[in-house]
Amino acid sequence: MIKHHPSDALLAQYCNASLPASISVAVAIHLDMCSCCKDKVQRIEAQNAVDVFAHHNEQLQTTDLAIDELSLLDAITADDSVDDVYKVTPQTILVNQQNYQLPRALARISHGKFMQMGKLSRSRIALDDGALRSSLLHIDAGGEIPEHTHTGFELTLLLDGEFSDEDDHYVPGDFMWLDGRHQHTPITEKGCLCYTVVSSALHFNKGLSKLLNPIGNLIY
Amino acid sequence: MMVSQQLSTRCEPNTGNYTAMPQTPSKELADALSAVAANRDKHAFAYLFAYFSPKIKRFGIKQFNSEAQAMELVQDTLTSVWRKAHLYNNDKGAATTWVYTVMRNASFDMLRKMKSNKEDNISEDIWPLVEQHDNADHEFSDHLENQQIKNYLDKLPQAQRDVVKGVYFQDMSQEQLADQLNIPIGTVKSRLRLALQKLRNEMGDRND
Repeated sequence: MIKHHPSDALLAQYCNASLPASISVAVAIHLDMCSCCKDKVQRIEAQNAVDVFAHHNEQLQTTDLAIDELSLLDAITADDSVDDVYKVTPQTILVNQQNYQLPRALARISHGKFMQMGKLSRSRIALDDGALRSSLLHIDAGGEIPEHTHTGFELTLLLDGEFSDEDDHYVPGDFMWLDGRHQHTPITEKGCLCYTVVSSALHFNKGLSKLLNPIGNLIY
Repeated sequence: MMVSQQLSTRCEPNTGNYTAMPQTPSKELADALSAVAANRDKHAFAYLFAYFSPKIKRFGIKQFNSEAQAMELVQDTLTSVWRKAHLYNNDKGAATTWVYTVMRNASFDMLRKMKSNKEDNISEDIWPLVEQHDNADHEFSDHLENQQIKNYLDKLPQAQRDVVKGVYFQDMSQEQLADQLNIPIGTVKSRLRLALQKLRNEMGDRND
């Protein structure tokens, strides 16, 4: 069962489009996996609609429309065609001989080739999103990421498989937000595929792991 | 840009009701939207236009701090309402909520274009306007074994996609297609050229 969800504040920001694209994508993927959060979002959207569209006495009658408004109205209705229903075809990707179905929200956003380093593979999502970088991160069975902290933040959404860290065991749909206060060593027994958003390089803090800067760069 | 965030380890449904909209003509708006969807009813659309345009404009001015961009939002939103009214499902919520989601999506795409100069219009990937359902597009899939190509085609604007489908997958000549779509042959050619350019770019992107 999914135990880790976006906070209510984050859901509210998602609904009014004030989150960066890569984080919005993470929330969208979570919603397709979590009907409880999806219900919350529908409720927030309905409330937002009330706030924006409740009657404020400025409603025009059709006969009050100004010339430029009438011409916009005419321009819009001059073309009778309708937009196609937006179809999203499920996409399967192959990472290290394993097939995964991509979440709907990622099906039409392209991603780069997987780069591999040991048991880690990473593919960059083609979302130009300022300082934020989003990726598909795959860890083979038995793989782990050395203990690290985050100078910015790291959002991890488990898409498939499982992993654990010092705090918990995670299942697909779990939405984890870590920042500089957290330290962890994720480890996976059976392997996993995650969607990650990272705001700045990871910081490895233990012995030999300090030599692992390349991993930090790979993941970031 | 920052996001206030703390970990949430439970999903507790909010049980409180949202504020009702006593002054909103909910039924009239929903009926108008249905009339636009079913009959391309211009009077019904004029009613929606008069109801929503000042409210969208006010929202846009808050969002963009610019009257011109607010008007662009009015135009984008109401164009989508006109062209996508058939996607509104009466049983699933108020017409105002649907128009809100259409406006929010248009606003997101505009902001993204302004901030990072991206015209990828990914709002519908983030907030789909339709529930995902099984898509049996047989006419098409029989001819098209490569799922990838179909995905690329889906990214093309409707007009370009129609031309590519007609010429490459229904074996029509450009003249026949111009006839069928009732557009000049020059337009068929230019749409085809744009579409192929775009497809090449997309496919090239993936093979890096």
